[in-house]
Amino acid sequence: MADYNKPIPSPDPYVTQPFWDGAKEGKLMLPRCTTCNRVHWYPRILCPHCHSSNIEWFEASGEGFIHTYAVQNRAFGGWADETPYATAYIDLKEGDRMFTALRGVNAEDPTSIKIGARVKIEFEQASEDVFVPYWRVVD
Amino acid sequence: MAEYNKSIPSPDPYVTQPFWDGAKEGKLMLPRCTTCNRAHWYPRILCPHCHSSNIEWFEASGEGFIHTYAVQNRAFGGWADETPYATAYIDLKEGDRMFTALRGVNAEDPTSIKIGARVKIEFEQASEDVFVPYWRVVD
Amino acid sequence: MPSNPSMSAAIVAAAESDKIGYIEEGTTALNLHIEAIRNVCAEAGVSPSEIDGVFSTNNSNLLAEYLGIHPKYIDTTAVGGCSFQMHVHHAMAAINAGIIDLAVVSHGEAGYSSRKNQGKGTLGGGGGDPWLPAAQFGGGPYGAWGPPSYYAHALTRHMHQYGSTKEDFANIAVVTREWAGLNPRAVMHSKETNPRGGPITVEDVLESRMIVWPLNILDICLVTDHGGAVLISSAEKARSFKTSPVWIAGAGESQSHADMLEMDDFTATSAHASSQAAYRMAGMGPGDMEMAMIYDSFTVTAGITAEMLGLTARGEGPSLWADGNASPGGKLPVNTNGGGLSFSHSGMYGMMLLVEAYRQLSGTAEDGVHGIEGKQTNAQSAVVNGTGGLLSVTGTLVLTSDV
Repeated sequence: MADYNKPIPSPDPYVTQPFWDGAKEGKLMLPRCTTCNRVHWYPRILCPHCHSSNIEWFEASGEGFIHTYAVQNRAFGGWADETPYATAYIDLKEGDRMFTALRGVNAEDPTSIKIGARVKIEFEQASEDVFVPYWRVVD
Repeated sequence: MAEYNKSIPSPDPYVTQPFWDGAKEGKLMLPRCTTCNRAHWYPRILCPHCHSSNIEWFEASGEGFIHTYAVQNRAFGGWADETPYATAYIDLKEGDRMFTALRGVNAEDPTSIKIGARVKIEFEQASEDVFVPYWRVVD
Repeated sequence: MPSNPSMSAAIVAAAESDKIGYIEEGTTALNLHIEAIRNVCAEAGVSPSEIDGVFSTNNSNLLAEYLGIHPKYIDTTAVGGCSFQMHVHHAMAAINAGIIDLAVVSHGEAGYSSRKNQGKGTLGGGGGDPWLPAAQFGGGPYGAWGPPSYYAHALTRHMHQYGSTKEDFANIAVVTREWAGLNPRAVMHSKETNPRGGPITVEDVLESRMIVWPLNILDICLVTDHGGAVLISSAEKARSFKTSPVWIAGAGESQSHADMLEMDDFTATSAHASSQAAYRMAGMGPGDMEMAMIYDSFTVTAGITAEMLGLTARGEGPSLWADGNASPGGKLPVNTNGGGLSFSHSGMYGMMLLVEAYRQLSGTAEDGVHGIEGKQTNAQSAVVNGTGGLLSVTGTLVLTSDV
């Protein structure tokens, strides 16, 4: 953490707090609508599917699949040291998607990264209170 | 100048430069359209009166009259030390208006400041290259 | 004869956010917007899904995305506190024109709380929370710094879904560069106008600097300075100028998302919906188009859009540029100015599409009088599509001329 040199998120105090609390404990917390039972991401105060305001947070599996990816060859600040590195949109097992930087892949060989590959979330401590999620390819 | 603690303008290099050059020499330079002969302020690349692109700059008298004014009782940064101080829109003798902070007035007594009062421009050095205009009530 | 829009529309409900005033526990502009929209829909007994026009000062597309709705009309006029009266004016005009039936005009502003929030959780930039829909183009914790960081993901998916190749998309850049070679004002017209100018090959594209795999730098538009303007007249007066009219036969707009995170299918954009609306209004179809101006922020943008406009089958967008069909002398010229890829692209490129489409259809392509030989086509109809954001929002026009 002392050497976390990438942009550190400033958690929103109103809507996303349950995510950040879970992240501190290594858990993926997701919002779900209790009216239509669908998950959504990013967190909202009403469900984008059915527009109900009945949102609850639950502990998700932390599993997903690569929906699509790219390899960043050009970056700035702390991320410049990491190039080439892969970013991806992850299909969450429980529904909807997250954007992330991938771990456990060879970004020097882009076509070796597979759409559909199974991934698992992990959290890296960026500051005392903030843990940033990353997703790692698992077999 | 060393103690100029108010915000210092960053001169635009494209359109307003003749003003700033004149300010360094204590002169009020104004833009005038050679097609319709009217001055305009702020400086433009075409005349807002007749839309001609034939603009020239000339040395103006530096004289004007108070069109309207107000007294700032609340301010921030370096201007906080100056309150109460008067701001005004000045009718330029050659035409159009400028906004400024007034000198030579008693801002503690707002109604003592007269609309129509004659004013003359003066320049205060803010940095090595930038001279800021102020207007002083003269009898 | 223009109709009098009086009484063509009515305000049918009004509501506020859950709380107003000095909200000590704090709130954000976005949350205030959404609460107000939720409440006004509840007042009238409608679902947000029934709304087909969204009007706000910041940012109407983002509000639509948040709500999961896809309006046919979006307006983000922001000129101060009076903007909302103007939104009603604009909504009335859109309703009177028959484009929409139900509009929401929304406001959310944390005038008090924003001072305490200091950029946290606020709408429209500065927000440091990556899970809020403000940091569209970069920032965020993963080093994404601009549109290329994101657009690349769409090309990966297209290749996966359809077996297309980088070569297929690179050819779009090659053909577009051919048109730049005929346009004396194109930045990449020749080696004289720019060291990297002049004709390119597919190999040149694939060997050019890799920015974000699978996008090489020649897959990516220029970043230039550019100003442009068009004048639009009523039909009655359109022939009274010394210039020729190019008719707006059809127009449509649509959106699918704001943040790419919310993009359902990375190989499809709302250009399908916006072009369908434009074709329908014009009473024409893709087969009637004699040329196309297709926003080419990236080769992938243009390739996907060709499919969405119905000019090729799904998955085969790059084929529009194959076999010389889109090239000078081809049967369906595309991006005759040299595109955002090789002519000029200031960041928002849509104006350049309009200026070129006008010039081509009025017979004045580039020299303003008769058109430059080779560059001037004899097209009398054009489909013009702009794609903004992160493949997020589209506007399509069908233009015709009798010149």
